[in-house]
This record gives sequence, structure tokens and C-alpha cells, in this order.
Amino acid sequence: MKDKTFSRNLWISWLGVLIVLLAWQMITSLQLINPSIFPSPYQVAQAAFERVSLTELMEHVRASLTRVIFGFAIGAGIGIFVGVVSGWYRWLGKIVWTPIELLRPIPPLAWISLALIWFGLGESSKIFIIFLAAFFPVVTNAYKGMLSIDPDLLRVGQTMGLQGLRLLWKIALPASLPDIATGIRVGWSLSFGSLVAAEMLAAKTGLGYMIMNAREQGEISIIVYGILLIGLLNLLTDNLIYRFILKHQLKWHFSTQPSS
Amino acid sequence: MKRSTTPSSDRLTRRWTILAWPDWVIGIASVVALLLLWELAVRLELLSARSFPMPSKLAQTLWTLVTVGFPRGITAWVHVQATVLRILKGYIVGVTLAIPIGLIIGRSTMLEQMARPVITFARSVATISLLPLAVAWFGVGELTRVFLITYAVFWVVLTSVIDGVKQVDPNYIRAAQILGTSPSQIFTRVVLPASLPRIFAGMKVALGLAFLVIVAVEMIGTIEGLGALIQEARTFYRSDASMVGMFFMALFGFALAKGLDLLEKLLLPWATGLEEVER
Amino acid sequence: MNMAPSVSNNSLGIEKIAIRNVTKQFQADAEERGLALSKINLSIYPNEFVSIVGRSGCGKTTLLNMIAGLLRPSTGDVLVNGEAVKGPGPDRGMVFQNAALFPWLTAVQNIEFGPQSQNMPKNERQLLAQELIELVHLTGFEHKYPRELSGGMGQRVAIARALAVDPDILLMDEPFGALDELTRAEMQDELLRIWEARKKTVVFITHSIFEALYLSDRIIVLSPHPGRIRMEMQVDMPRPRQRSSQRFMEDYEKIHNAIF
Repeated sequence: MKDKTFSRNLWISWLGVLIVLLAWQMITSLQLINPSIFPSPYQVAQAAFERVSLTELMEHVRASLTRVIFGFAIGAGIGIFVGVVSGWYRWLGKIVWTPIELLRPIPPLAWISLALIWFGLGESSKIFIIFLAAFFPVVTNAYKGMLSIDPDLLRVGQTMGLQGLRLLWKIALPASLPDIATGIRVGWSLSFGSLVAAEMLAAKTGLGYMIMNAREQGEISIIVYGILLIGLLNLLTDNLIYRFILKHQLKWHFSTQPSS
Repeated sequence: MKRSTTPSSDRLTRRWTILAWPDWVIGIASVVALLLLWELAVRLELLSARSFPMPSKLAQTLWTLVTVGFPRGITAWVHVQATVLRILKGYIVGVTLAIPIGLIIGRSTMLEQMARPVITFARSVATISLLPLAVAWFGVGELTRVFLITYAVFWVVLTSVIDGVKQVDPNYIRAAQILGTSPSQIFTRVVLPASLPRIFAGMKVALGLAFLVIVAVEMIGTIEGLGALIQEARTFYRSDASMVGMFFMALFGFALAKGLDLLEKLLLPWATGLEEVER
Repeated sequence: MNMAPSVSNNSLGIEKIAIRNVTKQFQADAEERGLALSKINLSIYPNEFVSIVGRSGCGKTTLLNMIAGLLRPSTGDVLVNGEAVKGPGPDRGMVFQNAALFPWLTAVQNIEFGPQSQNMPKNERQLLAQELIELVHLTGFEHKYPRELSGGMGQRVAIARALAVDPDILLMDEPFGALDELTRAEMQDELLRIWEARKKTVVFITHSIFEALYLSDRIIVLSPHPGRIRMEMQVDMPRPRQRSSQRFMEDYEKIHNAIF
């Protein structure tokens, strides 16, 4: 019985995608929109295989992924550190928090101007933008996570003889992990979006650049190809991160009603 | 929320430690302290004035921006107005489309299952990556920019509407059924109101996203708008104008968020204490 | 009505816990005026089961926290085994109303937590944990996460966890308050059984006069604003006690009148 509904659900899910693809193909076949600006799925596929060599593509993907992973790692790493420390040492948290809150609403890409002045035209400027994109959500969630730990958990630890950094490591950190994980997910998707934007504005490699370049050359199909590729990559990486987090937290965090 | 009180924090001297001062005092103090240190560092040439313009210089630039404008003739007000208007247009269109469509999809399990992969993928597409395509379709005018905002807002709100409808506490529905309410009435009088908090949460996220997108979008093809301001500053190596532009963004980002919060309190006074849904 | 405590069933007369002339000011930023606790004098003897009852705000939790070492008295002394309490420690185990189990650890891992913090070798602590699981009648649930356990089960783990570091004293802050009535009755019997098997000094806070009468050797009634001892009562009935017996009802009346 369970298998039946599962495969039925699978079919229905793919039905939706199929309908969209068919609609797309129909619109182009019927030439409802100017074909020079609205390529058919076939044209996009053709452009993908013929006009963009695999090596070229790999170069762009490698450039993009390197940037975003680097920037994200630094941003998330520092974010977790600052968030946890500010949450643990309240006085530090109070001092540090307001400047962070004030800077947070600024879109990461808005820093591009300063980034270019500070870091020049090289990789660092792009990575800086991605760093910012990852930092703020992670630090916010880490900080809030630390603040919302059930105080009784800490008290238990104290009665067991734990204090100071041992208390932080053994109890506070595991307890705030779910919030940190949320921050990481949000941070990643923000990083990815900022990556694309930064590459479109100020890069010579990467998928974002590939799209801009295609525009200059009037290659609409490649633009669409690039858009879809970026979307796919985003989906895949987010899925990977989610699965990784799930694997570690599924057991104890995602709460269901307790058995009684 | 207090951490467990230990003897060390239980001192009578607590009154004199930083922990006892109200947050806003410390907040202002730390910002002021940072600004002063910054100003000092630049004057002492520890930081280059080109990379880190002094706060005093920034104040001047701010004034110039407000009065004369940068580029000349385009004042802060014009920039802000342009950006806010674009966001508003795209936002309203996006929300107006997403809510009814979301309600229809949310109501039908089959539609929802069909739509889900499509929606998930559409959301994964980086909105900014659509810019060249939008330009090819609509040219470099306002329509392109508003379209992109609409795109970003639409999918986020759509998701939250669908989730909101689907995740209404079944107990509410059961209660209504027992009271003899017809299915269509259940939808309008129970499901709809019950899903509003979640929808609102999605609308807040969408606004934040719209802000992010518009800044990127304004960097191409226009000279009015906060994003455009940053881009102009980049072209002329004006780090001071950049920073002032960023300041305005922080200000309005904050204002927009608070505005929505207020609206939520007005429209949904009964939905207090809802957890923040961060995408 | 302050009756001098008579030496209880442990006729050595050596106090396990001595509370001498303790007062506690409310924290600096609280709104209420007056004292949380005023001139508390209390002696608790080894292996005694003492309950503290009283209305909300009478300072029961504050007193318990002072014995635990989580709070310091404003004036007066809190002595355990003749020595002033300087901070929390494994000699005074605590059980909270909300169990406060570490959600990221299984039941048995929760129990092993204390011994692990004290560097007990793995074999030893696993054996100990298993023994305690059996003591609290949770065999079979060792590897469940807290979210998978019902309220009563969670409290059993909490008790086992507190016992794992072999404290002389068990401090319990309304541990059964969140349980339904049937489970609560069951847990009361469980607690008595464990107490009789392990011989600990127990200080037990409850809102329920019935619960206090069912469990304790002695009941302390606190009254609020300021918190002070209103009445002490020796409970001489042999265990297991009948909740419907005449004597039970009479004692209930006495305490009820003292509170209201």
C-alpha cells in the first residue's frame, strides 16, 4: 500500500515538470513569442552541447564553486565563532551586537564598490562579498541559538561539575546546533545568489560571467542554459547541505510527538 | 532569556557591570566608540583615507548627497524613491499573483504535488541571473527591473501561501466541521485566517529578498536608485559615496522590515509570538 | 508556627544540610519589593526526605538553588556536611520539572554524561548506566532520544542521570509537576522505591500537599512576601501511605490551613 502511493506521488511530481516543459516547447513551436529571444528547449540543449565545450563549462563551474565554497567557509566559520562567543560572554555580545545588526540589512552586493577598492579586481573581492553573504545569517542564528538555550541544561551541567569552556563545549554548543544549522542553510543560499551577482558584475570566469558574456554575444540560448545550470547547481548543493544536516540531527532534533 | 545564575553573576556589584546596563545604551556606546576610533585611525594615517573615509567626511558626503546629489542632480531622495518604488511595484504584483494562485494550489493535494518540483526549481534559479534574459525581452527600462522583483517575490510568497494553507492545524478544521460549517465556508472562515501568519512570514522574507535583488539589478542600466548610486561610486572610486549609499540601504532595509512588522501587528493582532520562519 | 525540628529517624543529630539565618534579596532588576527569603533556619538530616511546599513566589526554588550552589544567600549560611556551599557540584544532584535531558544524547548517553565528565572509564560508566536504567525500569529504552520518550520516562532518565554521579543529596524541583495524574502517582512510588534502595537525602519541592504527604518524612511550609517558614511538620505515617486514611486527611487539613 505504501509503495503504491509513493510511486504515484513520484509520477505526479514529474507530471508538473513535464507540463511546464511541454508548455515551453509549445510556445516556441507556435512561435507565440519572438524565437530570437525565446529559444525552445531543443535550441537550448543544442547550444549547450555545441556552443559550450565541456572544458570551458568545467572551468566556469570550477571557478564559481571555488569562490563560493571559499567565501562561505570563511563567512560561516567566522560567523559561528563570533556568534557563539558573543552569546556565551554576554558583555561581549552586547557590545558587538549593535554594529552587526546595523550592517546586516546592507545587501552583500552593495559592498562591491568598497570590495573593489579594498581588494582590487582579483578573487578576493568576490570572495569578500560571498563572505558577507554567509556571515550575517550564520552569526545571527548562532547568537540567537546561544541565547535561547534552556538554562536548565546548563544548570544540569554545573551540578555535574562542568564550568567555563567545558560547559560551553559539552552543552551550550550541542544545544545551539539546530539554530546554527538553520543559519548555515540560509547563509549558503544567500552566498550562492551573491556569487552569481558578483560574477555578473566583476568577473572574468564563472557561471555568472558566462551568462553576461553570452548576452554580449547575443547568444540567448546560452543565457538560458546558464540560468538553468545555476538553478540546478543551487538546488543540488542546498540538497546536499540539507541531507548532511539531516543525517546528524534527524535522530534527535526533528521532533515528533513522543511515544506514550 | 537569562543564563543560569551562578554565584559569579550574583554579586551585589552586578549593578556596575556591563551586563546591567540596558542594551540600547551599550549599543549606542559601541557604535560611537567605533566611529571615534575610525576617525582617529584615519587622521593618524593608520588607515588610508581613500579606502576608509573618515566619518566626518562621510557626514559631509551625506549632506552633499541630500542637497546637491550624486551624480550631480540626483539627490538621496531621488535615489531612495526610485528604489522604493521599484520594490513596491514588483512586490505588489508578486504578492497579488502569488496569493490567489497559492490558495488554489494549496487547496488541492494533487496540484500541490505537481507544482512542488517546479516551484522548488524556480526558487533555485538565481533571480539576478535572469537579468540578461529580461533585458533581451523587455529592454533596459523599468519593466525589466520590476519583472525581476516580481519573480523573486512571487515564488517566495507562493511557497508560504501553499505551506500556510496546507499546515493549518487540523483541529481547527475539525472544530468547524463539528459546528456544521460547509467546506467552502471552512476555507474562507478558518483556513484562510489560520494561514495568514505564515503567509505574512513569507511576505517578510520576500521583502528582504526584493531588497537584495533590486540593489543588484540597479547596478546595470540606470543611474537612479541606491544600487545605481553604489555603481556610480564604483566608477569614480568614491568610497565615501559608496558608504553613504550603504548607509541609506541599511536605513531603508531596516525601515521596510519594521514597517511590515507594524503592519502585521495591525492586521494580525491575535497572532503574537510566532516563530520567525527564515526561509 | 515554628516548631523546632525533632531529630528524625537518623538519631545521630548530624545535619546534612544546614540553613542558618538565610535571607535573600530579590535580584537588582526585579520589580517586586521585599525579600525573597527572610531568616530561614532549617536543618535537614541524612537520608531524610523533606518536602517544601508553599504558594507561588514563596521562595521554594530560590532555597533549593541555594542548596545547589546556583545562588548565594544575601546573608546567612548554607552548609552541606558542615561546609559552606561554594558552588554547584556532583554531591548535590538536581532534577527539574522539565527533565532538561540533553536532546542530542540518547537516554543512556544522558545518564553517562556525569560520569563521563568525571573521566570515568568507558566500561565502568556503561555498566553503571545500564544498572541505573534497570533501577528506573527503563530497560529497552536505552537508545531512545528524549524526543521519543514520554514525560514519565523522561523524568526517570533525569533521575537516573542525577544518580549516576552518586550524590549524597537529591534536589528535586517539582519533578512530577508536568505529568498527568496517573503517571505522577506511578512516579511517586518509583521515587520512594529508589530512595529506599539508594539512601539519599532528598529535598523535594512541590505544589501538591498530597504529594508531599505521600512522600516525605517532614514537610516545610513556606509562605511568601517575604518567604519564611510558616510551619514544619513531621510525617510519622508508615509507608506505603494510604491517601485516603484518616491521618492523611488530618495532616492535609493542617497544612492546607497553614498555607491559606
